[in-house]
Amino acid sequence: MTALWDSDANWGYARGVARALAGAVLFGLPLLMTMEMWSLGMNVEPRRLALFLLANFLLLVILSRFGGFEPTSSVTEDILDALAAYAIGMVASTAVLFLLALANTSIPPDEMLGMIAIQSIPTSFGAMITRKQFSAGGGESEEDQEARTAGYAGQLFLMMAGALFLAFNIAPTEEVLLIAFKMTPWHSLALAGVSLFVLHALVFNVGLTGQEAAPEGYGAGRVFLIFTVPGYAIAILMSLYVLWTFGRLDHGDLASVAESAAVLGFPASIGAAIARLVV
Amino acid sequence: MADRSAALDRTPLLEWIAAGLGLLLLAGLLFVLGREALTAGPDQPPSITIRQQGVKAAVNGYVVTFEAINSAGGTAAALQVEGMLARPGHEPERSVATIDYVPGHGRAEGGLFFAHDPRGAMLTIRPTGYQSP
Repeated sequence: MTALWDSDANWGYARGVARALAGAVLFGLPLLMTMEMWSLGMNVEPRRLALFLLANFLLLVILSRFGGFEPTSSVTEDILDALAAYAIGMVASTAVLFLLALANTSIPPDEMLGMIAIQSIPTSFGAMITRKQFSAGGGESEEDQEARTAGYAGQLFLMMAGALFLAFNIAPTEEVLLIAFKMTPWHSLALAGVSLFVLHALVFNVGLTGQEAAPEGYGAGRVFLIFTVPGYAIAILMSLYVLWTFGRLDHGDLASVAESAAVLGFPASIGAAIARLVV
Repeated sequence: MADRSAALDRTPLLEWIAAGLGLLLLAGLLFVLGREALTAGPDQPPSITIRQQGVKAAVNGYVVTFEAINSAGGTAAALQVEGMLARPGHEPERSVATIDYVPGHGRAEGGLFFAHDPRGAMLTIRPTGYQSP
């Protein structure tokens, strides 16, 4: 409990919070300025939104361990940081929404709450991953962090976080549906192939752990099977989950669901591939 | 070859599971898309039928909810739906609604407002036009 009144520790945390606020605004702005997002909070089925907020919270808790805005060593700390990230995300969302005259006092409270709740998803994500983006050197060495993220499950988790973030950034717009309708099934097949290729090229050449080459002893075929295929599957699953949350899968048949998934799976798989660079 | 089998032996179970599930999902996606690509005819126009769902009292009259069901592969965008309410001895009452999208083999819901009670009157709801997406 000595850290409670330690001015250095408190000052460090305050600076982390300030950085997180900047990150929340940076990562949240594209969606804060997206028209569909202003009313989506009201249109999404409340239970699906609640489930998504909960899933996002779990994601933040795990993400905190992988490089949150302050170094952590216990689950309690991770939960506290995830809560802080949510709080920062909500403050940033509320402030920007009022600043842009999108929120005002005449809007009914429940509508306002929905608006802020849904915007807090990207902003809290931004708040959480800011540390890597804005700080030159954190409280722990890069190697420590590398060691924590090097595990296979960790890699898959990072891919999931990256896929979910990019899918969530694009899914609210009507364009996803429109593109899926404009594309023929052959376009969808080609897009799935290109997504796989891009994901594989990024994973194989950039390296998931931020290293120059693929893991030792892993050939192209093995990287494809162990990283690219599960990575693309994760991207498709995240796309489906986000589309389902927004109610975009409710009225189509299996083929149109698959086509929407292929469309959103493209940005999601790029998000999965470069997650390590961002997070 | 000895190197290779040694590397395979060291592969953790989780990697096998992830790769297996990933392959399964990928194969499923490609199967659905491929089947659609091979079976869908070229430029099929949408074919819409309207199914009336129910009548509810609204603030200024009545609302009739309906479901637009697309039985063809083509998607209808900006679908115009027209409702005509014919009451004996009165001018027919007309209402229109626009549905953003009805995906191929999919459905969408909407509603039409009427000033008079459609129950007991002759109500026809039909699609009048759409836009290609």
